[in-house]
Amino acid sequence: MMKWVRKIHKWGSLLIGLQVLIWVISGLTFNVIDHEKASGNTYRQKMIAKQPVPSGVNLLSVEKILQSYPDTIKLTQTTLLSTPYYLLTHKKGLYRHLENNYHLVNATNGQLTQVDEKFAADIAKASYSGPGNIASVTLLTPPIDDFLIQKNPTWQINFSDELETSVYVEQGSGRLVGHSNSDKRFADFFFMLHFMDYGSAGNFNSIQIMLFAFITLWLTLSGLIWTVHMLSKGKYNLK
Amino acid sequence: MKLANISKKVHKWLMLFIGVQFVIWSVTGAYMVFFDIDYIHGDSLVVTHQNTIKPENLTFTSSALYKRFPNAKKLSVDLLIDREIYRFSNNGQKVTLDARTGELLSPINKSLASAIAKHAYTGNDDIVSTELITENPPFELSARHLPVWQINFDHFSSPSLYVSANTGEVVTKRHSFWRLFDWMFRFHIMEYGGESDVSNWLLFIISTLALIAALSGLVLTYSRVVRPFIFPQKKRKSSAKKTPRKIKLSTDKQS
Repeated sequence: MMKWVRKIHKWGSLLIGLQVLIWVISGLTFNVIDHEKASGNTYRQKMIAKQPVPSGVNLLSVEKILQSYPDTIKLTQTTLLSTPYYLLTHKKGLYRHLENNYHLVNATNGQLTQVDEKFAADIAKASYSGPGNIASVTLLTPPIDDFLIQKNPTWQINFSDELETSVYVEQGSGRLVGHSNSDKRFADFFFMLHFMDYGSAGNFNSIQIMLFAFITLWLTLSGLIWTVHMLSKGKYNLK
Repeated sequence: MKLANISKKVHKWLMLFIGVQFVIWSVTGAYMVFFDIDYIHGDSLVVTHQNTIKPENLTFTSSALYKRFPNAKKLSVDLLIDREIYRFSNNGQKVTLDARTGELLSPINKSLASAIAKHAYTGNDDIVSTELITENPPFELSARHLPVWQINFDHFSSPSLYVSANTGEVVTKRHSFWRLFDWMFRFHIMEYGGESDVSNWLLFIISTLALIAALSGLVLTYSRVVRPFIFPQKKRKSSAKKTPRKIKLSTDKQS
């Protein structure tokens, strides 16, 4: 039996040894990196309303808005850049990053509002506290490398700072998806390695990692048996 | 081969002490990898209903609402099961109101909470218990969701839906496979209770040793598996000079 244990351990290590090394190195990286920095929020600030938002009673009535947009699942009042809006949900995902469909209506004049390039850039700027200026604004469709869970079209606003900060604003709702920068991308790279997410699916349920995890079980269990066997045979002695 | 001999010693001795953690990493890692993460998160426990609001049902008008609650902020209109409702924040308190009648629904009562959970739940299982949690949330529940109703369903995976007592929304959900996942994760990052600083140091030390163990293991893989495979002639020649092959093999086996 020990012959087979050793065979399994040797051939298992040949198949997945390098990935085990990658797992240990990336795992060690997560342990030592500065998680504050790796969150990508170095230049993120809270968006504070510059002028007081008019109270709800002075806004267009929600009944009127709902009559104009009949297929609404949910209406919420939000504020974007100190302006009140009604966000109408027409397709609802279980989570807001999942596929959804919105209308954004100005709550004072009833105007249907698109989160266009300029609007998105202004939202991004309001959330940004760094020294850089806007270098480029691009509309992205998923998958979005910096935010793989986000499944909706999103504006990417790039800032010219030393961290290469990118700010993401959802096109449908004007929601600030988040900030990313070179520190976060560095951590993301190691997560990609740790999860063997070479296809950028954004999760750790891929076929390749399942296969490797299965072989790893054989590798570690055969190693355990081997160690116990050596212990029982008195192979662990300090000469 | 000197490096191979050192590696053999290092690998053998290090794994005596940290090998068990490798087993734990592989078992917990395999669990996390094999179960679909969306399933783990209980996404299949709940339905995201797409029913639309009927504006004519808002018979208790928003202006009447503002008259009654002059400080109402962040007004929203939503459906609670099948009736239109208003939600807003009133002096920092979240309030839910029936949009037909203006009846105050919050705090949500037990039977309504159960009905909401049943409506959101995918299966047809019965409710085992419905409990209001106002303080000391269980580990799986974030304190920001309080006060909340915990509705437990009769199913082998012990699903629980959590319905906010203020808003009537299903704020989170849990089942055994997620609870187990959390344990797996904690063992994976060696968070064996206690101070997080201590477990960080523990993880750092063990991971560093693990790195050495893995590297020495790879050297052995090369010298024991790859090299003999690539240079079978060479090995046979060199070993033939000194010792018969059979003996060489048997010493290999003993290690």
